[in-house]
Amino acid sequence: MSAPLFDAGLFGDRGALVVALAIGGAFGWCLERAGMGSARKLAAQFYLTDLTVFKVMFSAIVTAMLGAFWLGRLGVLDLGRVYVPETYVVPQLMGGVVFGIGFALGGLCPGTSCVAAVTGRGDGFMLVAGMFSGVLVTGLWFRDLQPFYESSARGPFTLPQALHLPYGVVVLMIVAVALAGFQCATWLERRAHRA
Amino acid sequence: MNFHAPGQPRPYSNPYLTGVGLGLVLLTAFVVMGRGLGASGAFASSAAGVTAAIAPARAAASPLFARYLSDGGPWLDWLVFEIVGVAIGGFASAAFARRIRFAVERGPALGRNPRLATAFVGGAVMGFGAVLARGCTSGQALTGGALLSVGSWLFIFGTFASAYAAAPLLRRLWT
Amino acid sequence: MPTERSVVRLLAISAAALAVVAPFVGSPYAAQHASIDVTELARVVAREEDHVTAVELAQWIKERRPDLRVIDVRDPDAFATYHIPTAARLSLDSLVETPFRPSDTIVLYSDGGAHAAQGWTFLRALGYRRVFFLRGGLNEWLEMVISPTLPEHPSESQRAEVENVAALSRYFAGTPKFSVTARLEHAVPTTVRDSASTSAAIIARMRKRGC
Repeated sequence: MSAPLFDAGLFGDRGALVVALAIGGAFGWCLERAGMGSARKLAAQFYLTDLTVFKVMFSAIVTAMLGAFWLGRLGVLDLGRVYVPETYVVPQLMGGVVFGIGFALGGLCPGTSCVAAVTGRGDGFMLVAGMFSGVLVTGLWFRDLQPFYESSARGPFTLPQALHLPYGVVVLMIVAVALAGFQCATWLERRAHRA
Repeated sequence: MNFHAPGQPRPYSNPYLTGVGLGLVLLTAFVVMGRGLGASGAFASSAAGVTAAIAPARAAASPLFARYLSDGGPWLDWLVFEIVGVAIGGFASAAFARRIRFAVERGPALGRNPRLATAFVGGAVMGFGAVLARGCTSGQALTGGALLSVGSWLFIFGTFASAYAAAPLLRRLWT
Repeated sequence: MPTERSVVRLLAISAAALAVVAPFVGSPYAAQHASIDVTELARVVAREEDHVTAVELAQWIKERRPDLRVIDVRDPDAFATYHIPTAARLSLDSLVETPFRPSDTIVLYSDGGAHAAQGWTFLRALGYRRVFFLRGGLNEWLEMVISPTLPEHPSESQRAEVENVAALSRYFAGTPKFSVTARLEHAVPTTVRDSASTSAAIIARMRKRGC
């Protein structure tokens, strides 16, 4: 039996939806535990007073990245079967820029807005409504967007392939950057609390 | 459990420990499903479903919505179930920690209604950005980031750079 | 009872350790499985749709055919000595890990064509459709494009083609030779020539002229 378990036929589509609920539950639990359901806490990231967002995000990325690498290397997980989102260079970079503006305005991202809404925050609820509307309008006018949307397609494209470096080297680089970033975050927060 | 109890809300958990926990959840998704997490996709699926219910022709005409309308329909979508899970899990965590509170979180200088308005606008802008980027912080930054996707790391860079650049202009909202 | 800080510290050290070892343990990917419809592939080969001639490839490169990917599957030293212009180098094991776009036209070549033909089979098995290889390999390129021997007095019907090949040759800094006994060849030369030394000589000449 090899992983991904779904591919190995361990359970069907209905089972997959149950798994979705369970994984989502754990996801939402962790987000709320860290305080990511609070818009003020998230926004503080961008004023360098509370860098929880960075710490949570990059701890998660590093954990999952190291886990995927080592489970793959040990033959437990068939890494080639894990779906890597396709790369569209310009739309994704521009999408990030636009998303960042919305994030700074709203103080919550799509996942955390649901957590905020469900724990009683009116701003979370409005953000969910706004997101829904934004996606709806984008979908209705999608034909006009499509040429840009599909530009600079590279298919599944990883950093090791782009940089012509072995996977393990890129893993080391990212962990190093993350650990250095955590140290910087500690200094910045200390500075902010002294002031 | 009295959700309006004035009992002390528990402090938040250590960000590194919860981050590692989140990473393990993501890794579990890789191992069990061969895919990662997401959030904005659930919004797209719901938008497709709602449009299909009200104006089926418009829904079918949108290449974005059409994708979600095939293959079992927009409501039996993995991400929709996942986001319902997120709501349940988030609620449970807040309930246990006595952090359920009816409030509108905003900066000290901002009124309630302006805050609700900026939340809506911010959400709409993020909705557009997430469609372009094929995901948001969950689907692209966390999932694609952990899988070393170039487009995802470009998204991470774009998001952080742009948010940090916009923040000084938006001080009145938060400080 | 360990403190939060000590647990965090332990996790950070573990992450660093796992990361430091990672570059030395090789690839995290498992075996790549692909299936081949042998009947279909055999038909493609029989219809000669699996390969291109060196002249055709030269034409494609010159007219900047969109999404053309010329791939050299030889070792780095051979590639550095001489390679077909616009070619990129990929070993066979890197080739099968490389994601190509469906719109790409992939042309593989090696010295004689055998490795390129193997690579062709792998890429077809992985599902790519527009894959070709140079059947005569780099040797064919050198003999048919860089240093072709063309008829000095071609017939009416052949004149345009001879001029085209000559122009292509010069485009790639080659030197077409003309001889009264030469015939216009469309296939890989079937005469048993000492291809290796001829190619080496051609390459040596080109390098001396600083291409």
